[in-house]
Amino acid sequence: MRQVKLNNHISGKFNIELENLRNSVLTMGGEVEQQMVDTLRAIKENNAGLAEKVVLNDLKINAMEVQIDEECMRIIAKRHPTATDLRLVLTIAKATTDIERIGDEIERIAKLVTKHNLPVSETIKSSMLSIGEHVVAMMRGTFNAFARQDEQAALNVYEQDNRIDRQYKSLLSYTSQEMRQYPELMEDWLEILWALRSLERVGDRCKNICEYVVYLAGGSDVRHASIESMQQKIDDLAQ
Amino acid sequence: MLNLFEREKLDLQSLSPSDTAINVEGLNLWFGKKQVLNDISMKIPKHRITALIGQSGCGKSTLISSFNRMNDLVDGCRYLGKVEIDGRDINHSRENVARLRASVGMVFQRPNPFPMSIYENVCYGLKLQGMSLRRTLDDSVEQALRDAALWEEVKDRLFEPANILSGGQQQRLVFARALALQPDILLLDEPTSALDPLTTLYIEELMISLKKRCTVIIVTHNMQQAARVSDYTAFIHQGELIEYADSDSLFTMPVKKQTEDYITGRYG
Repeated sequence: MRQVKLNNHISGKFNIELENLRNSVLTMGGEVEQQMVDTLRAIKENNAGLAEKVVLNDLKINAMEVQIDEECMRIIAKRHPTATDLRLVLTIAKATTDIERIGDEIERIAKLVTKHNLPVSETIKSSMLSIGEHVVAMMRGTFNAFARQDEQAALNVYEQDNRIDRQYKSLLSYTSQEMRQYPELMEDWLEILWALRSLERVGDRCKNICEYVVYLAGGSDVRHASIESMQQKIDDLAQ
Repeated sequence: MLNLFEREKLDLQSLSPSDTAINVEGLNLWFGKKQVLNDISMKIPKHRITALIGQSGCGKSTLISSFNRMNDLVDGCRYLGKVEIDGRDINHSRENVARLRASVGMVFQRPNPFPMSIYENVCYGLKLQGMSLRRTLDDSVEQALRDAALWEEVKDRLFEPANILSGGQQQRLVFARALALQPDILLLDEPTSALDPLTTLYIEELMISLKKRCTVIIVTHNMQQAARVSDYTAFIHQGELIEYADSDSLFTMPVKKQTEDYITGRYG
């Protein structure tokens, strides 16, 4: 594991700026993770009020994205970062977009709870909550890997998405059987499909952030690469 | 709404007198028949770093030289308008220029230590002011060298000639010489242009640390430096103040096209 040291520039102010930027992403990540936890609780308890709170809170996450983007632009304009510093700023700018999109996916799910449209059956509900728990674990792992700039941890989290994809496909197949049985609930089914898709997309977004963590820690771009190739690149970096 | 990044943005137009280090009002300046500054009005905030940027010959050095009346030394210089420090017009005939220059220190582009010892360099101004008590001079020299981040490097050779120091050390010595007089305002005219990039960064850190003690005004050709160190930046073109704003705004979203062209290298 190689870490980008943020606090060894001659300019103390620059150290503080980079540290604050990194912390801001973790703050945003923490907020989004809490949004997901609240949404799952809202589904479990059928709590429209809590879901409403999640929907409103998404505005805060949107504002955070704007602030972090502005700060990245300000640092690029004023500090002209290079090498690891530049990678950090670019990684943060990209990761922030993904985190904001995670927020949007969560908001979409929460909106359905506010309309009491989720979920139709207990089986779907419990499966959805199970996927949700894995998604929360993946989000937590992603932000931890980012905080520690740990590319191996990022890769481990990256792999967790396979399990979420399997669960998603299996639930999708179950849901389509149910849809055939109760076609009169088609509007509700469509809403559920959207929610499931959103849940699965959160995992994909976490994968993107994990790729950025590998790039940040080692400077190796692993986007669009297979897991084996990613592992190989990480091993090469460690040598 | 949660604020992730604390940022200060003073309203430079309506800065209160207690927050204003220098108040320039309608300043016009001529060298002979040539007008160098054209109706400049700006309030420079206290305990901040303000950068003046612009093309060579645009008048930025002339502007900071008018803050301690260094232009008086130029033949044929005349001016119109006011430069106020602490509420008094420094161009008034009764202004004590020697005292003004003690409270408004200046550091130039090239390190210019006097041909004497390190110690004598720092206490030169103090002695001119009549300070003669050895103990007091020693304390002042040590404090000034500490403030200039040079003490640790020279404390064992204070009585060696200043010209044995490296370029970066010499420039910090010049800072110490200015700081020994405990100025309220420090004018820096291209203070790092003769130094290597690493030494430049150390000097920039020094400037930032000096903000607590005094107001710093820097003229620089290096826009990256202005962006790095300054809190506020003024862009001057052909003697006119084109844009004056907090550096965050000026370097990310300048309002005037001329500023945009200059900082993006599209000038001319």
